[in-house]
Amino acid sequence: MSEKSTISQPFATTGRSRKGEPWVWLTAAGLTFGVLMALGLFILICVKGVASFWPQRIELLEIKGDTTRQIAAGIPSQERLRKDAQGVEHEELQFFHGNRDLQAEAFRYYDRSQIVRSTQPQEMWWVERSENGTAFIFPKQVESDGKTIQAGDPAFEPTLDRVLKKGREVRSRLRQIERKEIGAISREMEALNRAERSREVAPGLAAERRATLQQEFERLQKETAEMRAELAKSRLLGSSADGREMVFPVETLLNYFPSNRAGFFERVAEMVRRMSNFLTEDPRQANTEGGVFPAIFGTVIMTLVMSLMVTPFGVIAAIYLREYATQGMLVQLVRICVNNLAGVPSIVFGVFGLAFFVYFVGGGLDQWLFADKLPTPTYGTPGILWASLTLALLTLPVIIVATEEALSAVPRGVREAALACGASKWQMIQRVVLPASMPGILTGVILAMARGAGEVAPLMLVGVVKLAPSLPVDGIAPFIHPERKFMHLGFHIYDLGFQSPDAEAAKPAVFATAMLLIIIVVALNLTAILIRNRLKKRFAVSSF
Amino acid sequence: MLDKQTTPDPNRFNVSRATLWLDRAMGWIIRAGGIAVILAVFGIFYFIGKEVVPLFHDAKINNVASFSNGIESRVLGVDEWGEMPFFYDGGKSLIFINVADGKREVLDVSGLTDLTVRSFAYDPVHRRIALGLEDGRVGAMVINYERKFAPDGSSSIAPSAELEPWQELSHGSGPVVAVSHGDSGDGRVIVAQRQAADGSSQVSILKLAMKRGLIGKGKLSLVAEVDVTSQLSAPSSLLRASSNASMVLIATTDGKVHYFLADGDGVSKRQVFQPHGELALRQLDFLFGGVSLVATSENGDQAQWSLFRPENQGERLFGETKKLPALEKGEIFFAASQRNRTFLTGSNKKLAIIHSTSGVARWAGTLDIAPTTAVIDAKGEHFFVADAAGAVRKFAIHDPHPEAGWRAFFGKVWYEGGSKPVYQWQSTGGTDDFEPKLSLIPLIYGSLKGTAYALLFSVPVALLAAIFSAAFLPLEIKRVVKPVMEIMSSLPSVVLGFLAGLWLAPIWEMRVPSVLMITIMLPISALAMGYIGCRLPPAVRNRFENGREWLVVLPVMALFAWLGWHLGPLLERWLFIYRDPTTQQAIADFRLWWPQFTGTPFEQRNSLVLGFMMGFAVIPVIFTIAEDALSNVPKSLTAAAAALGANRWQVVRTVMLPVASSGIFSALMIGFGRAVGETMIMVMATGNTPVMDWNIFNGMRTLSANIAVELPEAPVGSTHYRTLFLGAVVLFAMTFFMNTLAEILRQRLRERNKIV
Repeated sequence: MSEKSTISQPFATTGRSRKGEPWVWLTAAGLTFGVLMALGLFILICVKGVASFWPQRIELLEIKGDTTRQIAAGIPSQERLRKDAQGVEHEELQFFHGNRDLQAEAFRYYDRSQIVRSTQPQEMWWVERSENGTAFIFPKQVESDGKTIQAGDPAFEPTLDRVLKKGREVRSRLRQIERKEIGAISREMEALNRAERSREVAPGLAAERRATLQQEFERLQKETAEMRAELAKSRLLGSSADGREMVFPVETLLNYFPSNRAGFFERVAEMVRRMSNFLTEDPRQANTEGGVFPAIFGTVIMTLVMSLMVTPFGVIAAIYLREYATQGMLVQLVRICVNNLAGVPSIVFGVFGLAFFVYFVGGGLDQWLFADKLPTPTYGTPGILWASLTLALLTLPVIIVATEEALSAVPRGVREAALACGASKWQMIQRVVLPASMPGILTGVILAMARGAGEVAPLMLVGVVKLAPSLPVDGIAPFIHPERKFMHLGFHIYDLGFQSPDAEAAKPAVFATAMLLIIIVVALNLTAILIRNRLKKRFAVSSF
Repeated sequence: MLDKQTTPDPNRFNVSRATLWLDRAMGWIIRAGGIAVILAVFGIFYFIGKEVVPLFHDAKINNVASFSNGIESRVLGVDEWGEMPFFYDGGKSLIFINVADGKREVLDVSGLTDLTVRSFAYDPVHRRIALGLEDGRVGAMVINYERKFAPDGSSSIAPSAELEPWQELSHGSGPVVAVSHGDSGDGRVIVAQRQAADGSSQVSILKLAMKRGLIGKGKLSLVAEVDVTSQLSAPSSLLRASSNASMVLIATTDGKVHYFLADGDGVSKRQVFQPHGELALRQLDFLFGGVSLVATSENGDQAQWSLFRPENQGERLFGETKKLPALEKGEIFFAASQRNRTFLTGSNKKLAIIHSTSGVARWAGTLDIAPTTAVIDAKGEHFFVADAAGAVRKFAIHDPHPEAGWRAFFGKVWYEGGSKPVYQWQSTGGTDDFEPKLSLIPLIYGSLKGTAYALLFSVPVALLAAIFSAAFLPLEIKRVVKPVMEIMSSLPSVVLGFLAGLWLAPIWEMRVPSVLMITIMLPISALAMGYIGCRLPPAVRNRFENGREWLVVLPVMALFAWLGWHLGPLLERWLFIYRDPTTQQAIADFRLWWPQFTGTPFEQRNSLVLGFMMGFAVIPVIFTIAEDALSNVPKSLTAAAAALGANRWQVVRTVMLPVASSGIFSALMIGFGRAVGETMIMVMATGNTPVMDWNIFNGMRTLSANIAVELPEAPVGSTHYRTLFLGAVVLFAMTFFMNTLAEILRQRLRERNKIV
């Protein structure tokens, strides 16, 4: 390195040994390859992830079959090489056709030679629906409040926008009624049943209350029926590429985008809109469309609970090992074991979490506190609390090792100065050692969070599900539901890619989710690295 | 102000009580907390171990009742709750004894009053006693138990016996001296032996079919009666119809067993085999599932025979799969479980409970009576034995994991239906009588295979990178490279697995030759660059030789990667040509060529893809530790070597590598630990088939993936569940051992470097 180069510089002009030079170059290739792999993967995920939001131009294709010609609209999704039985390579293009209500397969491969002509007609629209997924259509007319406006009319799009806006409002009101108000009624009914069974409430009183609830329920049902009927009056009509009529009632129509007409900035705006929908919406269509909000929420809550659990315990254990325990063979052995625990496969922690937290602790809690609900388990089943605790155990070694390192980096002189000033041992730790090692501990915590956020295997055993009906924190008393199952970004990827019935349709969503997860993990790691770098500088100054 | 003060407070140097108290309290809290956390960590071992230990427990049996029935019980049967056994001695009545209160109930079978029973055999599955009469008729009697609940919640059992219609035998003459009965639900098979007055005997097989009525049971009607006497090599000594009515076995006095298949086409002899040489058989019974049988000779030699397809043969025939421990010569008793492949057997006063999959005795011991008959209840929780004098013992069996054991997990086991002993993992099956195959060996093998291919790719890249980074790379670049590698190590493995399985695998499937080309060309290009580079004039060399080699290598590598990618198809057309066996057409396709050339399959999700993707997880781990070890080689050593005239590569080869060798070794072991335990990539990119070969173009099933896939579905506390825990223990042990070794090596290295 720098030293050596200064040594070798003076002889540089007199000719130099060639021995082993090729090997040096080979090591250079090794490093380059390794770094390229890391960067390449990151770039690949980001490009594919961003591309899944980009509103591509819709192509109108004329496809020549053996005997037929057909017209189809779609966006190109990928290319591949296929070898047929004769070993001849075919270049094939995959198109996403949407319109799942018209044809079963949304994705299709075409041989390049099959595509006779492809155009991008200006008036083609990209339509998002809550049922049957995306559609590509030529808009025809919009019907609203008895009026019909043809496409091409200047009032066409404003009317549609107004209709869509109203649709969104009504839908959110509907969701509010169905989820919250009807949910509250059914919960009260359940509680009433339970109370009646355990004879806590007089049967007459219960019947009275039940009747009131039933009335309320019927009123709400009537209200929703009216709203639905109101919605049904407005709809968009269009036709598919091959001229089939398509009807889009406002109830399921989410959005439209004239992709082929839009300029660059409009498309960017559309992409941003799609990204924000992705981040804030619930998943639809077996998770392949819509957003990943519950998964983000689950990941964040789980990681937070995990760090809240692991930080104090990890720090205490490290302080004990470094400051209180007598340094000897035993402590050394414990240290080796803790270090090793960091290398134990995560699935083993999952197995432990299942046996200990879920069945032993959870089962015990159920026997003790929720005996009236048995045999339906409350805590004796995988849930977010157990998942957080399992991951806390998994990341415990990370925190212990980082904290120990930070503690041992605090110079002896500083400690002795504190003690010499009359500080007690705890005062020394609390006011001198801990503040000095705080950045190191923080680095450990962030690294632990990064590890925890990206871990999936143990979660599959202790609480993650593909679709959780409700969030672990919500507005229903007692507001925090640590026993609930949850969704997780990492598991979302696994589930979409490997368990969903239509892996092709899920691919864009998988790439988008993978990008999100990678960004979270990399951001956490970068923060940790930045903090560590600052910490290094700080100690460089403060050491004696 | 100072000097006007009164005498200072004598306690002014004392520490406040609160401070002292806090100090002490915090000391205790931290000690308690620290020790608790460390104990919690060790609790992991305990709790996983606790789930595994029951797998290795033997069966426990417990004598719960002893009584006497007063007759020579030649048939012993029991209800499904194990509460009311019955006894039959060939007479006209059955004796029931309620174990709880000792009440003895004699049930006279009305249909038998004016008949003489000459022979009988009991089928515990259908609780049916097959009967052979003096007058040459055969029939059966079914014992039913009905549980009656009294209004006060107590219950009692009411037994009854039901005679089935008699069948006249048309072949032979004289009394029926041996009989056996099988029931498939819609048909029956009866095998009977008649002894004529002149001492000759005849064996015939009856097939009956059930005509199903709209209501109730249908009527049995005779389909065929086949006289098989002429097909036997000697007079018969034992008859056995399988309880599912698909097979009939006839043992003859010369020790041969004749196997007749009773299928839709009638009855036909398929095989003759001799389980114990010339020795005549004393016992011949089917096990649960009706595929295996246990045969005991008059000397007490016992063996298990199973139906399987011998290699290169189409038909399933019996073959010996296990030799069981020999019994003492004497009266042999036998009873098979109706829930799993356990059976109990013994002679004289010895009794053993054996699980047939592993062939291991779950329990063996001596009783206080010498039983002649035994029966296990339908739930497999109790068994009864009775001796010739009428003494009866009831035992409770506690054996929740009969399939488990060292042999089952780690040994080669000859499973039913297999043609040889194998290591196999197949934990669940479609039917009730499925035999679980719980060998962990294929999974350990899979884990090691995945790890090996991952390391094969990662180790060279990581070590080369570590050497370059530690020895040649300028500090400014190193400051960027190391964090990049660290971030790489925390990439979520689920993302890597998804990319491997859904993105990379389909691409590489088409382009294996290209991948091979690139693998060969990249290192060669780098070496060639070095060869050329060091022959350039020093002025040129100075520009990039101080750690900037990578700048030059980068475009060259990109070029060669591109070249390799496009040369691949050419290579394929030249070397990997598949010839269609029927049309003789030559097709250049590696995917077809590989199976034809090597005889091993080619799969899309294979070890090649896996090895590459695992690199993302393993390279940074190895790189970081090896780089640290190399960087920490004392400067004095490297400087001394350089001063003595070693060039930069010689410094690395002769000083840095040897000094850091144990650190590098520990890096490899940590890398091994990471690869062995990796779960999501393995689940998503390996295909998850538990195969045992080293073929790079197919997948595997690893311990970790197996746990992730199967544990959520395994019932808590079942053998399957505990076996998966055992898998976790094995995984834990492997990584813990490797990591400890690595840690010790690393500490020794640190000590050594300190001395230098």
